Amino acid sequence: MGLPTAPLVTIAFVGLAKSNAASRGMPDERICFLPHPMTDKTDAEMYQVLLGNDPVTNKPLMPEIIDALTKPLTADEQKSGLVTPDIGPATYVDTAENLQRIYLDNNMTDFMPIILPTEEKVQAMLKGTSHKPDEVVGTLSAAKGAQPSWTFTVRHVAINAVMAGALPEHLPTILAISATGQPALFSSTSSFSRILLLNGPISDKIKMNYGIGAMGPFAEPNAVIGRAWTILSKNLGGCGMPGLSYMGTLGSNLNYNNVCIAETENKLPDGWQPFHVQKGFKPTDSVVSIFNGWSLNNVAWFPNMPYHELINNWLTHFFSFGTSAATLLLDPTVAREAKSKGFNSKEELSDYWSKNSKTPAWLYWDTHQKELEQAKAGVEPYASYLKMGDADIPFQRFYRRGRPGGPPVANPKSSIEIIVLGGETNTYWAGGDFSHVTSVPIDKWA
Amino acid sequence: MKINRRKVLSILGISPAILAGSTAVAGEKKKKPAAALSTGFKIEAVNPKGMPPPIQLIPMAPRLSSLDGKTIYLVSDGFAGADRFLAQIAIWFQKNMPSVKTIYRLKAGSYFDDDPKLMAEMKANGNAMIMAYGH
Repeated sequence: MGLPTAPLVTIAFVGLAKSNAASRGMPDERICFLPHPMTDKTDAEMYQVLLGNDPVTNKPLMPEIIDALTKPLTADEQKSGLVTPDIGPATYVDTAENLQRIYLDNNMTDFMPIILPTEEKVQAMLKGTSHKPDEVVGTLSAAKGAQPSWTFTVRHVAINAVMAGALPEHLPTILAISATGQPALFSSTSSFSRILLLNGPISDKIKMNYGIGAMGPFAEPNAVIGRAWTILSKNLGGCGMPGLSYMGTLGSNLNYNNVCIAETENKLPDGWQPFHVQKGFKPTDSVVSIFNGWSLNNVAWFPNMPYHELINNWLTHFFSFGTSAATLLLDPTVAREAKSKGFNSKEELSDYWSKNSKTPAWLYWDTHQKELEQAKAGVEPYASYLKMGDADIPFQRFYRRGRPGGPPVANPKSSIEIIVLGGETNTYWAGGDFSHVTSVPIDKWA
Repeated sequence: MKINRRKVLSILGISPAILAGSTAVAGEKKKKPAAALSTGFKIEAVNPKGMPPPIQLIPMAPRLSSLDGKTIYLVSDGFAGADRFLAQIAIWFQKNMPSVKTIYRLKAGSYFDDDPKLMAEMKANGNAMIMAYGH
């Protein structure tokens, strides 16, 4: 840009800030650091921060900021040219035990033992696809635009699939997931997690479990495909490096496997379409869908009301980051009960929930501060909402209304997705704050 | 807090410690397992990493000889708190270096995005920038 700059970053992001500066070509950028967090400080406390020290260098902060703008540049700070990052040697030779440690210590695994990717195993894995090993599959980044985008080939994906314990027949699905450019490990502080959903003939072909324990560790493809996505995100996108490319403060246990599931298509009620058909694919297409969110609530509850009403109440009182999207995972018994109550498709049920769920008063006002001011000034309907006290507000959260501040969507659709799976051993269901990201075909990678 | 330069490098695909305890065989892909040693058979495994992009080093902008009489843009990336903290910096300059003129701006877009319009304004009217990231 050509202007001397002093970036200020809180101490929680030291590694992220420095690595980001380096990847953008300024490894010696003069970043000044502040205590963390800053958002909860009063103005007076913030001023005291200015009078204190940079917690990284322990030097007085304001003189450091002024130095950043005025101290003459060093030779390193004036360097130009192209640097090719070193990713290490092409191969490692050691005992199996030592190799496990090398891969683990260099953050190339999910910290569980891996299948060591020998050339022989990689070649066997590559037989799972007709694509050439050196074909570029795509790019991957921990946060596109903010973190570097790495490029990777079919061979790279195959190596990581071996490490996860996958079989050649799993490779097309893993390639399809990779080609989306979506990382399993997103850099956000909010600890994102993912769901992988398989639909179509692929599920039976590779023996995905969608019966009893459909979301648990009870089948090889469910386990290794989900695991492969996490491992390859680290190695093919530089994702999942705490403090550098991963900032999730609590992290998520779901990241180990990314909830790799398949829909129980053969138990869908009449008229209910498989998820991939809802998204425009043919029933005979094999498709993997990616969902993004944070958490799942596995609900064990025997209501005296119909399940669709119970879930409607759950949706009203459920909240999470964003608060405006949900995915319901229904055992086939729950889906059949909803069908018996007149819901002839997933869409009808989803629309019912979007129209009938409300918002708790505290949540509504906490997320609608501008409307709160209008309510206090007597503007309707907010003034009437305020008179309702603690009662649920008739504000329907679960619609795709577009980005905040963006143009309003003319006919917003329900943001509630429905997946049917499970072994029919009881009328249970799970719900969470996941939203659909994309659905992609698998067969093109066979 | 000590900065772990090795960690910083590793996000760029650089793995300075990766050879510890191992023998690297760069460029060889089909070597047969090595002979047995007293600690057991050695085997050869391939590097699973993809291809990080090359990095174009950018020379930093020349620094100012002093801030006296200069205009400094105080830029928030939009995270909560950055605006209030930058306001305190403006107060500090008023109290301690009154010849410095400060101008506050909120960068457009998410923290990922460039704001070419603001960059052009600062280039035309400013001498330096202090940018604050929230949290």
